[in-house]
Amino acid sequence: MTEMEMLIIVVKTVIIVSVFMLFVMYAQYFERKIIAHMQARLGPMRVGWHGILQPIADSLKLFLKEDIIPSSSDKPIFYIAPIIGVIAALCSLAVIPFWEGLGVANLNIGILYILALSSVGAYCVILGGWASNSKYSFLGGLRSSAQVISYEIPMGLSLVGVMMMTGSANLSDIVKAQSEHWFLWYQPLACFVFVMSAIAETNRAPFDLSEAETELVAGFATEYSGMRWALFFMAEYASMFVMTALGTICFLGGWNGPDFGIFAHVPGIVWLTLKMSACIFIYFWIRATLPRYRYDQLMSIGWKIFIPLSLANIVVTGLVKILWIAK
Amino acid sequence: MTLTQFIKKVLFIEILQGLALTFKHMVAPAITRQYPDEKREPVPGSRGLHALVRNPLSGKEKCVGCGLCAAMCPSQCIHIYTSEGDDHNKVVDRYEIEVLRCVFCALCVEACPYGAVALTEHFEYSGYTREEFYYTKERLLENWDKYMAGAKGEEYFEKFWRPKSIDFKPSVKELQTKERAGK
Repeated sequence: MTEMEMLIIVVKTVIIVSVFMLFVMYAQYFERKIIAHMQARLGPMRVGWHGILQPIADSLKLFLKEDIIPSSSDKPIFYIAPIIGVIAALCSLAVIPFWEGLGVANLNIGILYILALSSVGAYCVILGGWASNSKYSFLGGLRSSAQVISYEIPMGLSLVGVMMMTGSANLSDIVKAQSEHWFLWYQPLACFVFVMSAIAETNRAPFDLSEAETELVAGFATEYSGMRWALFFMAEYASMFVMTALGTICFLGGWNGPDFGIFAHVPGIVWLTLKMSACIFIYFWIRATLPRYRYDQLMSIGWKIFIPLSLANIVVTGLVKILWIAK
Repeated sequence: MTLTQFIKKVLFIEILQGLALTFKHMVAPAITRQYPDEKREPVPGSRGLHALVRNPLSGKEKCVGCGLCAAMCPSQCIHIYTSEGDDHNKVVDRYEIEVLRCVFCALCVEACPYGAVALTEHFEYSGYTREEFYYTKERLLENWDKYMAGAKGEEYFEKFWRPKSIDFKPSVKELQTKERAGK
């Protein structure tokens, strides 16, 4: 690898991380705005035009806040937990192809890499909950560990269908295989299971049991404040970002757009951004609509419905591939 | 579970209906008022800060110090101190309301036979000390001048309270007989 190539990779990384930080700030702004309007409120309105500078004010506030560490906490783990979450989520960004050849790394096991890092991301919640030495955090962390373990299985299995159709775990290859038709039309069941598991995997409503405000104060983040809490927040949005990117790439055709008229000249990254924004809007929309599931409901949905459904999907995909397509 | 129920459950009909509802609300305008910027007109007759009615003829308070309002007040936040005047009439020395204790039931307004105490429509008052909310007679009269003076004050009693003085006002004929008897 020449120095030039390394420089390009560094520049790409810097651009992706900074764009991603902006995304985290403004995703939070739009989440507040969208949910407010769904509840007939206005949301942030005071900082700048329609509160457009609110995320900047918020992050300034979080930077300047006092760093409180509980005296009886397990300090090294308490420090490390939020950092693990952010790093795991940011590392997953490396393999996402934003356009033809526009990704930091073109890994031939992209899907596996993202799934593995999302499991590592679960450690931030578990360790944070454990190290806080508070019963709310502890319960939140334990719930999250069980939840993430249960939902990783259907999520991985739902992506197996996609990998079978492409014959590759490389994300760029998956997008190229969808240049004609999106996999959403071939794998609707897998797509459904993936969306639900992604919501559960990122601890978002209606499966946000690890931070259930009504019973656990703030769950695993109860004892965290200021910048450390912001890191947790960033990790949550980062994993949302990664999951929407993965969903878009595996089911919605990635950077492929309609190829007629003016649309053919629109760069692929615009299509990817549009599709991802739509997916993130669905995240917010579901959060504004559905109440939180009970813990046993969450578990039974995961084990009794999603895992059998995704297994059936694999069997059917395999049969179709052998019986019809291979002939 | 019947077949229709099963199909509804599988196709998430109810969740989709919920999503449609929230989407409808998102497109519809929000109902929030940006309070300090756009203020709502107070409803006529709403119960805000207290005032003592100033008699336009004498320029003094209408209150005669009978103490009915203080007796009626459920939170006992009205304090009245009276003394005997020069020609054996009752003089209200002090008339004080602890606004922080008031529950704004307006029983004092209802009890007053002379329509001498009122609740203005002014509701935006705040302060840093308790003393600021201890309203003396002079401050209560100022409130009347500020928020209720003129036709608004007259309309207030006519419209929302029927002061008992209307029913018990002596007619002109009675006054004349009284005058003759006095002579």
